[in-house]
Amino acid sequence: MKQGWLRLRDELTQAWTVAAKDIKVYYLKPGMLMFGVMMPFFLFFSFSVRREMAVGQGVARLLALTIFFTAAAAGPFIIPLERRLGTYDRLLAAPMSLLTLLLGKAAVGAFFAIAVSVIALTVGVAAFGVSITQPWLLAAAMLLGSFSFSTLGLIFGSIPTHNPGEVQMPSTLLRWGLLFISGVFIPLAEMVPMARAVAYLSPLTYAQDLMNHAVPGVGSLSPWLDLAMLLVSGVLFLIPSLLMHRRSRQLGY
Amino acid sequence: MTNAIKVQELTKYYGRPGKGVLAVDQVSFDVRQGEVFGFLGPNGAGKTTTQRMLTTLLEPTEGRIVINGHDLARDAYPVKWKTGLVPEESNVYAELTAWDNLRFTARLYRVPRAERAARARELLETFGLWEKRDVKVEDFSKGMRRRLSIAMAIIHQPTLLFMDEPTPGLDAQSARAIRDLIRRLNAEGTTIFLTTHQIEEANQLCDRVAIIDHGQIAAIDTPERLKQAFRRVQSVEVALEPDGLETSRVLETLNVSLAALPGVTTSVKMGDKWRLYTEDPSALLPRVMDYACSHGLRVVSLSTLGPSLEDVFLEITGQQVGTVRHKTQENGPRRRGRMGGQKGGRR
Repeated sequence: MKQGWLRLRDELTQAWTVAAKDIKVYYLKPGMLMFGVMMPFFLFFSFSVRREMAVGQGVARLLALTIFFTAAAAGPFIIPLERRLGTYDRLLAAPMSLLTLLLGKAAVGAFFAIAVSVIALTVGVAAFGVSITQPWLLAAAMLLGSFSFSTLGLIFGSIPTHNPGEVQMPSTLLRWGLLFISGVFIPLAEMVPMARAVAYLSPLTYAQDLMNHAVPGVGSLSPWLDLAMLLVSGVLFLIPSLLMHRRSRQLGY
Repeated sequence: MTNAIKVQELTKYYGRPGKGVLAVDQVSFDVRQGEVFGFLGPNGAGKTTTQRMLTTLLEPTEGRIVINGHDLARDAYPVKWKTGLVPEESNVYAELTAWDNLRFTARLYRVPRAERAARARELLETFGLWEKRDVKVEDFSKGMRRRLSIAMAIIHQPTLLFMDEPTPGLDAQSARAIRDLIRRLNAEGTTIFLTTHQIEEANQLCDRVAIIDHGQIAAIDTPERLKQAFRRVQSVEVALEPDGLETSRVLETLNVSLAALPGVTTSVKMGDKWRLYTEDPSALLPRVMDYACSHGLRVVSLSTLGPSLEDVFLEITGQQVGTVRHKTQENGPRRRGRMGGQKGGRR
């Protein structure tokens, strides 16, 4: 039996294998494009056009929205679809841990979010001449934010069902809820104390604050706190996914 | 001979134990290394539930599964490396090519990089898919998907292969190719756990069969021994033809007449033949001949048959041999239908 680092190497390779396959199979599916690409841009233009806002702030908001919606779109779309088609059984029966499988699935959403936000950033820099105040912080924000929101999406993908439609409703509700309580549309500094306390419950608040630090250079919280909160929330979001997968195994999904 | 699978008092409730649906009830059996083990049962009997528990896809409510010496509840990881699964639905990735599907599975099972291409090519050639290797699977027929699904299940050369209904819905050529493959894999040492409705398939392929009904094992033995245990379902099969127009009327009431012959327990029309179930075929043969002569019928063929595995299966599952029978005109129109284990029609 494989032990130690050999097992770790196998598991990491398998996680990447799952992610690479999903990237090939699902990235151009209409569901992914609608929820992962069109939704953040649609929201951005709905709430930002014709409002007074610096270009740097606009790009920071677009990046936060893109990371949030795109990364969280993959899990609720892919896993129930694979359950319905029976291909998820192939992955569950394979010699890898459930955590490896979930990390592979999380990588799918994370890479998707990074790719779409890089496109948005490129357009922002090329078309509007936006300058990035802290590029490394931006890279860390994109990486950790996409991981955190992708594992958030996995929670909904882990709901025991074969029907993607049953997952989209609660998934969309929660994402919209987290969006509206966060500091994306109303800056944290302008919120009343109660609203600010609620905003701290949304991981999107920390992602937006990081983007504000990285692009225009004006954040409200410590960037280290933002990074830590995204990392912790990303790990914590894996727990309900693991528990629900175990429940699915009891129920037969 | 050692056991590849040992199942002890396996139980599965869907829902709360004692209150939910009991799908598998205290099932125990062994599968020996190197055998083809058939798992037969009617719809809803618990076949697929059992197989899903054996492949770690479903958690048992109670009981113990040991595969190749590893307790599945505690130590499934080494078992998974050596296990292949062909589910009832061909779970291939329609958006990928046949080649990519195989390469993906090979990577997932960590087949050495140097061997991946060679194994994929060999399997594609074996299954007649090499020419279609770069075609997306969404353009494949059902039979081609099935073959690819099996190829994906064996690319890592498992020692234990689970197959759930591998041939239904396939054309005769594809079904035969898959049966030949099962024989070949088994000859090479692979233990095969075959879940099937196809009783004749189990008869041809399996060293032993288990019949599961209502979540419980009703019988386990070799096909021949099971048949021996059910001698009472022997039969005489006869094809009759009218000699003239008048005698053709006799055919209309033949079902009733044949069933009324002494010693016939049940008569069943099977295409252009009649199968007469009896405990004593040798005594029935002259009676059938006498009946044909006295009614101006020509005997096209006449043979005695031992119990088939299907007969055994129907007896065990309470569906009763010969329950597909013909009713007389007085009883209503001719129709085919199960009588759910009732003894109606027996004499």
